[in-house]
Amino acid sequence: MFYREAGQFKTSYSADQAIFPIRQDRNFLVALFIFAYLAVPMIANEYWLSTILLPFLVFGLAALGLNILTGYAGQLSLGTGGFMATGAFAAYKLAVAFPDMNIVFVFLLSGVVTAIVGVLFGIPSLRIKGFYLAVATLAAQFFLVWVYNKFGWFTNYSSSGVISAPPRAVFGDFFVTGSSAGAIEKYLFTLTLVLVLALAAKNIVRSHIGRSWMAIRDMDIAAEIIGIKPLATKLTAFAVSSFYIGIAGALWAFIYTSSVEASAFDISRSFQILFMIIIGGLGSVMGSFLGAAFIVLLPIFLSNAPTLFGVTVAVDIISHVEFMIFGALIIFFLIVEPHGLARLWQVGKEKLRLWPFPY
Amino acid sequence: MARTFGEVLLNVDNISLSFGGVQALKDVSFSVREGQVLAIIGPNGAGKSSMLNVINGFYHPQHGTITYQGQTRSRMKPHQAARQGIARTFQNIALFRGMSTLDNIMTGRNTKMHVNLLWQALHVGPARKEELEHREVVERIIDFLEIEHIRKTPVGRLPYGLQKRVELGRALAAEPTLLLLDEPMAGMNVEEKEDMSRFILDVNDEFGTTIVLIEHDMGVVMDISDHVVVLNYGRKLADGSPEEVRSNQDVIGAYLGVADG
Amino acid sequence: MEFLNAIFVAPFVEIWEYPVFFVEVVVAGLLSGIMYSLVALGFVLIFKASGVFNFAQGAMVLFAALTLVGLMEHGAPTLIALIGTIVVMIILALAIERVVLRPLVNQEPIILFMATIGLSYFLDGFGQLVWGSDIKVLDLGIPSAPMEYGGILVNQFDLVAALVAGLLVATLAVFFQKTRIGRALRAVADDHQAALSVGIPLKTIWAIVWSVAGLVGLVAGIMWGTKLGVQFSLTFVALKALPVLILGGFTSIPGAIVGGLIIGVGEKVAEVFWGPAFGGAIEDWFAYMLALAFLLFRPQGLFGDKIIERV
Repeated sequence: MFYREAGQFKTSYSADQAIFPIRQDRNFLVALFIFAYLAVPMIANEYWLSTILLPFLVFGLAALGLNILTGYAGQLSLGTGGFMATGAFAAYKLAVAFPDMNIVFVFLLSGVVTAIVGVLFGIPSLRIKGFYLAVATLAAQFFLVWVYNKFGWFTNYSSSGVISAPPRAVFGDFFVTGSSAGAIEKYLFTLTLVLVLALAAKNIVRSHIGRSWMAIRDMDIAAEIIGIKPLATKLTAFAVSSFYIGIAGALWAFIYTSSVEASAFDISRSFQILFMIIIGGLGSVMGSFLGAAFIVLLPIFLSNAPTLFGVTVAVDIISHVEFMIFGALIIFFLIVEPHGLARLWQVGKEKLRLWPFPY
Repeated sequence: MARTFGEVLLNVDNISLSFGGVQALKDVSFSVREGQVLAIIGPNGAGKSSMLNVINGFYHPQHGTITYQGQTRSRMKPHQAARQGIARTFQNIALFRGMSTLDNIMTGRNTKMHVNLLWQALHVGPARKEELEHREVVERIIDFLEIEHIRKTPVGRLPYGLQKRVELGRALAAEPTLLLLDEPMAGMNVEEKEDMSRFILDVNDEFGTTIVLIEHDMGVVMDISDHVVVLNYGRKLADGSPEEVRSNQDVIGAYLGVADG
Repeated sequence: MEFLNAIFVAPFVEIWEYPVFFVEVVVAGLLSGIMYSLVALGFVLIFKASGVFNFAQGAMVLFAALTLVGLMEHGAPTLIALIGTIVVMIILALAIERVVLRPLVNQEPIILFMATIGLSYFLDGFGQLVWGSDIKVLDLGIPSAPMEYGGILVNQFDLVAALVAGLLVATLAVFFQKTRIGRALRAVADDHQAALSVGIPLKTIWAIVWSVAGLVGLVAGIMWGTKLGVQFSLTFVALKALPVLILGGFTSIPGAIVGGLIIGVGEKVAEVFWGPAFGGAIEDWFAYMLALAFLLFRPQGLFGDKIIERV
């Protein structure tokens, strides 16, 4: 009875089209916003900020990128790791070449570079579909990682092959990368950037561009017949998706791990992000973040659960169990709820609207 | 009742189409005038759907040409056909199952929506304006087809008859000059057929849309079409007004079989 | 300039000047290609019969190998261990059919594909949980010393692998063509509905197919495991099978063999003669790039069925 729309009538199409048409949703969002910006920095400790919230945000962004390509446009991609690597190395080269460029621009530009690379590898998508396309993206994955490992130019010929991200401030003293950056600054910066990008993504998927992606996904032949240009639509999906994934890669390297190395972006990373969008919900902005949260939290839960029960379990056993749970969950979600956690969330809200009535 | 029609909008000229060893169409020619409702009829496998597919560029004929709005060509890409004002519905519904009724019909407006990516990301100014403009057009179509109550429902959940109506809506959203309907009444009961016939005639009446439809129900064909083309085994059997075709001996023979002796 | 030379001139010069060496590389490539083919065979079987692209084939190979080694480590004699593993793989196939395939029977292929990705992770974790994750040595007494045939150095083990593969393909061919079950499998591959309507039990067929694929996986696992040692990276060998399938066609058994050979030779030759120009390790991506090229020009592979779209 608290979560009802009664009395909330939309008197214009624009009101109907708002992202959160129900007033209770908007209030919840405002509360979440305040919590995220004010409460969290005050109550969260360094561990939570650095090892849980930061990767959650960065993974969420990467998952969002992949969701745009795979969930909305229906183009299965296993090359996410390679594209993240592209973003990370592009950011590194840009940051070193233009030391005075604001870090925000560095990230945005690295996204653009990744978008270009993404479009190149997306060109085959006009002729090939489904898991054939997945193989093409595998080519991208292995080739890109090989390139970044092989050619010293990307690491500025560093002898160890591992480079650390140069320190940068957003303004004045507000360092977000490098050793002088505090966890809170990193968190707030990443939070803001991710929120802005997520909002942009939500707007795009609701527009005619998003609809043409979904049309191509659902029935590409019919889409072409009603006038949607298949190559342009698919390449736009690759571009936007790679833009997001590239920025996520740059954030990963600069803000989360503070080092830029290709091995962080191997094929397992691609699968990890794919799992996020399957579990979180294909074709859902919120689902991308739910999936990211799930995959970030699950290993932590698994490592800590045994101690809660007073049992010690070896580390490698935990990683095997993790694999098993991931695999089982993927299968479970695909069978029970292919739209993932996002759909479960929606169903929950539907039930809440009717509460306390059963139907 | 005499109806006046405009110039020849579509001219199908000696079209032959085959797949591997199967000849789907052989030397078929006919023309459609602006504002006409033309029905293509014939037994199953006669090549009717293939004909529509050739008209909108999905199949490329081995011989023959299509002249549309004065331009002759032998092959065209489907999305080019769409941009030139040809819209169609399909025998087995080709709706986008993951989207709602409203969104499906909005995709029909795609060829008219141009605001670019950056504006869309911000959802202000031109992007908002364009979206709202087209929403209004789509709402009018929804009104016309009496499907307001299902506008937010994902189409995969709709009953067959309503899905066919949504598909018609999507085709109408493109404001087509030529509307191709592939068995729009298939699987419908009498009431639904009456509704659909009414919609088709209204579209032809109000907007002057030229309509080519494939239909099996003879009653419907007699009622709503101005001109009939009969296909059999890929060849044109007859071409004339509904009354002429109905009394044509060859047509009767094709449908009912010729009696021995 | 030097780089261009290294790509367009030097390799061919080297091939011309050392023909015997070139042949050795080709032969080595052929034989390693056979190994890829063994894994690809499992894929083709399942895809032919159920239209499912089984990403977990690699995990099945690993699981089979792990089970075999594990049983042998626990003291079982080779033959018993083999039989035990076969039983395990059949049980696994039944379980997969029941838990993964049946609930997803009407879903799009992409959903099934992602389910098999999940399955492969599960089998990975499960196999290593049960049998441990250190590299295991698999020794079935297959000879592995290099030998000389007409002036060319060849590895005995690779020859055995080629023989085994040949036998396997022959057996499968006979199975599909001559036996009742084989005919049923071909019917199912052609048309599920039609097969059902003549009384062929779909579920049983799938269980059989996955069991056979599991056995093929076991053979592949034995060969790979002996060569590389049984370890986690076997699952990533499965990823290499994808280009093999692209080249050979997803539905063709001879295609799996030919595709494997081409990939094997291509990789080796590229690595040995062109690798130095790039600083080495071209093998990492060469197969995928080759597959990509094929996808652009001949997506159905050399032997696969042409893909026709209908509205």
